[in-house]
Amino acid sequence: MHEERGIGGSGRSEVNADIAAEALDRLEWRDARRSTPERAPRFAMARRAALTGGGAALASAMLAACSSGSDAKASSGSAGDTFGSSKKLKFVFVNHVTTNTFFVPTRYGAQDACDLFGAQYQWTGSENSNVNEMVNAMNTAITGGADGLAVALVDDKAFNSPTDAAIKADIPVVGYNADASTNSRLAYIGQDLFASGQEMGNRIVDLVGSGPVALFIATPGSTNLQPRIDGALSVLKAHPSITTSTVATGAAIPAELSTIDSYVTAHSDVKGLFAVDAGSTQSIAQTMQKHSLRGKGVKAGGYDLTPITQKLLASDQLDFTIDQQPYLQGFLPVLELYLYTVSKTLSGMADVNTGLKFLDKTTVKPYNSTKSRYEGSSKAAGVSKS
Amino acid sequence: MRRLLTLREGSIVVVTILAIAYFAVANDRFLTSANFKTLLPYFAPFAILAVGEVMLMVAGEIDLSIGSVYLFAPFMFYEFHQLGLPLVVDLLLCLVCAALIGALNGVLTAVVGISSFIVTLGTLLGVGGLTLIISGAAPVAMPGAEVHTTTESVKKVVNGHTITLQEQVNHVGGFARVFGAGIYSELIWALLAVALLHVVLRSTRWGMYTVAVGGNRHGAAEAGIKVRSIVIRNFVLCALLAGFVGVLEAMRASSVTPDTAGASETMFRAVSAAVIGGTLLAGGEGTVVGALLGALFLGVLRDGLVLDGVSADYLDFILGFAILIAMAVNIYVGRVRKGSGHA
Repeated sequence: MHEERGIGGSGRSEVNADIAAEALDRLEWRDARRSTPERAPRFAMARRAALTGGGAALASAMLAACSSGSDAKASSGSAGDTFGSSKKLKFVFVNHVTTNTFFVPTRYGAQDACDLFGAQYQWTGSENSNVNEMVNAMNTAITGGADGLAVALVDDKAFNSPTDAAIKADIPVVGYNADASTNSRLAYIGQDLFASGQEMGNRIVDLVGSGPVALFIATPGSTNLQPRIDGALSVLKAHPSITTSTVATGAAIPAELSTIDSYVTAHSDVKGLFAVDAGSTQSIAQTMQKHSLRGKGVKAGGYDLTPITQKLLASDQLDFTIDQQPYLQGFLPVLELYLYTVSKTLSGMADVNTGLKFLDKTTVKPYNSTKSRYEGSSKAAGVSKS
Repeated sequence: MRRLLTLREGSIVVVTILAIAYFAVANDRFLTSANFKTLLPYFAPFAILAVGEVMLMVAGEIDLSIGSVYLFAPFMFYEFHQLGLPLVVDLLLCLVCAALIGALNGVLTAVVGISSFIVTLGTLLGVGGLTLIISGAAPVAMPGAEVHTTTESVKKVVNGHTITLQEQVNHVGGFARVFGAGIYSELIWALLAVALLHVVLRSTRWGMYTVAVGGNRHGAAEAGIKVRSIVIRNFVLCALLAGFVGVLEAMRASSVTPDTAGASETMFRAVSAAVIGGTLLAGGEGTVVGALLGALFLGVLRDGLVLDGVSADYLDFILGFAILIAMAVNIYVGRVRKGSGHA
């Protein structure tokens, strides 16, 4: 069965399971619809306009070519037969930092899952954590009749009403990467942020034992970072021999590096440096190396894997980093949204904790010696030597 | 058609209609009432920002700091609310703060004599930094924008039978609905701002003096116009509108994050809406209605492209070229207008 929710699109009910036939069918139907008498004048005018110097239209036409590029491609796998659904589902990922390299593996994950299921996805949102822009993108996706939404819930409240609106319109919503406790999303796929912070707290207790420890956070209060530091502090509170200070480092790496550098210069007695975001973790490693803090017995660790973090962890400038598997944060939302839709809401939704993978100087080795889509270091399928 | 093209806003009207026509053909969801509601926040806030910018640009100045004032005002709103003041007072006080920044911009430009580009670049950074300090770099929930959910009985007619269903209904406070959270709130404010400033610019002494100051500052001064007062007044107006839009947008999202990285982008969108609408960067000529249309054009492009499934990497690329091509058309149509003898 195929359902068309657009205006004036009620004329079709049956569709051949064969995908090629469906595509042909669809094209013919569109053409037929366009030439119905009462609609003709508007379209004819628009077409004429597009031909006679319609600059905006021309520019927009480029997108037709572009959106059929790698981000929106779909394969004709046999998923339709397995799950008894021939509809090509379209999922929309709403992200807070769409062009951030952290999410490159996430996009590969989403793409790979879409290829498996013959679905497609769109990657949109904001480039710089602009919550209003993300809400706009969500609303557009709902209007556009997306089959499912995956949203990085980086704000405690702002996504509640668009999420409710989507669910009311029978569009399933999952959270990924960051979660909001009051949001009515159907599942969360990502790190259990507070729990991972507690684990980091335990590591800090084991590593440092006693003395002053600095905890660095890029942007305090953001829902994808703050719970981690809260988790760590909840554990460290029980160990009065360790004194903590929390330092905000800013969202850009150059600022993070100079903040941590000046902190270390001013606090020569510090016994441990730990961070809860990728940029600060990398900056800690660089600062450790710059001031040869390893020789002074300073412990250090943090989150995520940037190429620099990986290298410096292998060369023993850091004690650990926590991998939250960004690939899964793209793959699993598509998987869950797909299953939820084809099972007609009977199955599919499950909270998944993607991240409590502690890496040390030994276990980080395969990350340094290989290239893959799983780490975003290669476009090619499979894992190759770097 | 010929009459339309002889208007200053004529070319942007044509370009916007072309864009709407394209998306209407390309996507059957574009011309739906649901998408109309979705489209509103894509352009209404930027239209208000842009009309403030138009008043300044007509006077030959520019305000880059609106992006930071936009961010700063809702945090001041929050801080005043923390003091226990009622919402309306919070709004008025935070607008006063925004106006003060505008006055500072105006005095530094018109009295001290620093170029407005540099002055407002300074306040763009400074006020952005101040926002980070006040907020402790942490996002806050906007007071008055809390959503309450109640269960209500809704009567529905199914197959001719009237049945009563329990449905979850979300409510927002009246203050929030008026100032940003209501679906049409931002549109109504935008139309009000446009109508008001259109009259100010076209039919009042303030407007005429603004045009005169932007066109020929020395001449205007010699003719007895108080140039400094006009420039400062326009700076205050521009900052006031920016602060107001900041509160509207924060109310709409029900929370606000101190992302100073986004401040300059907000500013650029407003300035480009003004310029696309037909206001000269050099001053002396401009249109308030054009700014609304410029914002609408940019909003239609963004909404339409996202609706068409364009992914983030391609969006800026296509948006950039779409603006260039549209502006080429804009200039071309503008020539037709000049050729008609109404220039």
